[in-house]
Amino acid sequence: MARIRIEPNLESAVDFRHVSLALPKRKRRQGGGRRQRLRRLAGETRREEFAAVTDASFTVHPGESVLVLGARSAHRRALLRLAAGTVLPDSGTVERRFLWVPMIDLARTLGRGFTVRHNIYLLGGLLGMTPDQVAEFVADIADSAGLASKLDRHLGQAPASVRQKLAWTTAMATNAQAFAIDEVLAVGEPAFRAQCFAHIAELRSRGVTFLVASEAPRQLDAHFDRSLYIDDESRIHALDVDGGIERMRAARRALRSDEDPQDSEDDN
Amino acid sequence: MLRMLVRRDLQRQYTTFRLGYLWTLLEPLGMAAVLWFVFSVLLGARSFGLSPYLLFIVLGVLPWWWFLKGMRASTKVFRRARGELIFSLLPTQIWILRVIISSGIEFVLSLPILIIAMAITQSIPGPLIVLFPVAMVMQFIAMYGLALIIAPAVALTPDLGRTVRIVLRSLFYFTPILYTLGRIPEVLQNVAAINPLVGVFGLYRIGWWPDEAIPPSALVVSVASTLVIVVIGVIVFHRLEPRVLKEA
Repeated sequence: MARIRIEPNLESAVDFRHVSLALPKRKRRQGGGRRQRLRRLAGETRREEFAAVTDASFTVHPGESVLVLGARSAHRRALLRLAAGTVLPDSGTVERRFLWVPMIDLARTLGRGFTVRHNIYLLGGLLGMTPDQVAEFVADIADSAGLASKLDRHLGQAPASVRQKLAWTTAMATNAQAFAIDEVLAVGEPAFRAQCFAHIAELRSRGVTFLVASEAPRQLDAHFDRSLYIDDESRIHALDVDGGIERMRAARRALRSDEDPQDSEDDN
Repeated sequence: MLRMLVRRDLQRQYTTFRLGYLWTLLEPLGMAAVLWFVFSVLLGARSFGLSPYLLFIVLGVLPWWWFLKGMRASTKVFRRARGELIFSLLPTQIWILRVIISSGIEFVLSLPILIIAMAITQSIPGPLIVLFPVAMVMQFIAMYGLALIIAPAVALTPDLGRTVRIVLRSLFYFTPILYTLGRIPEVLQNVAAINPLVGVFGLYRIGWWPDEAIPPSALVVSVASTLVIVVIGVIVFHRLEPRVLKEA
């Protein structure tokens, strides 16, 4: 009863055809809680939505690595989730040739009250590994996250960078043929980031496919073949890496000079 | 994977509180004791149920506790799993199975109370006790079906969480926990049996009271309604799943 559908005969790594997706807006306190409650009493059960992706058609080929850009992180993330299949499109189809491992906010789910080992098994399991597969890697994972000696201790108040490393190395151990990575590269220690890039470069040479969404793409450009830019109207443009970065910077500048940055979102 | 999630739940339960496992026993035990005291000693209402009344109550309260905990937890599953839903490649149903199994394991762990009640009342069950595990399976199926409806509905409309709590509270009285089905008017018995718990509780008790626990026709109605609930649950869940995923 696996949820993610895979078409092994597909030629491309992932294929979007006329995909649209609207997501509910995150609850923001507008006019106080009472107004919201009144609205709900009046029968409004559906929350307001914004268009995250509109009529997207594109293909990513196996072995390609594509940078996902756009002024809004919610749009970038929605695209990654669609590719991995952890959210389903409202209309259109997404087909994938193999499992895409989504690396989105993985570190957040690591539990403090559990041992490092337990956390690795759990995260690995959520990403589709069987316990036997995890068992093979568990020592390596902890080692490269710098937690080898603490495998059976509680994760506790481990710093964010350690959790990040743990999540990253666990996800990489899935040995997937494709990864959809969100923001991981924007944070963490420089040394670890360099390690991540080296890892990506190595995997790329082995033909692994990447979709990487990033806020700070400057240091990344060497690693990517092209970019997908999501504009404010949630339309997708296929660009080269430099073109995408340029466009993103321009959009950011416009956003910053905007008096109320929420306005443009409400127009959707 | 499921095993690990369940272990995680139990571990949290048993490490957060100092008394740990004892709470699994104490909570239903306390409830059973109060009910027994009020209805049997104060009100002298033993005749509502079957004798020995203490055993009768325990056989009602323990499975009810599983039901209550499982259903309450199912209203929160998707809020709790929001972070995981963003990237989890596992079937979404796993989060629902998880809470039902966790609370079910607690139910099994609370069974020593039943043995104590049997010892106090010195009652040995007959051969129909073999239906006890069948009752557990039926309860599990009924809970799964209901949770498939409740969990996504609450995730999309949080107000329903309150409603579920009120319904659960009234269900306590509409379910033969303190009384037997035989005590209500005969015409209503088969209507009441639409509640799958009627059949479930009948099967739990049938080992001790082979004739009085549940009329066969009511049992048939209950089993049928359980199956209907599961079918509805699967359909509802299938339709709401995409929207639940969007909320993550």
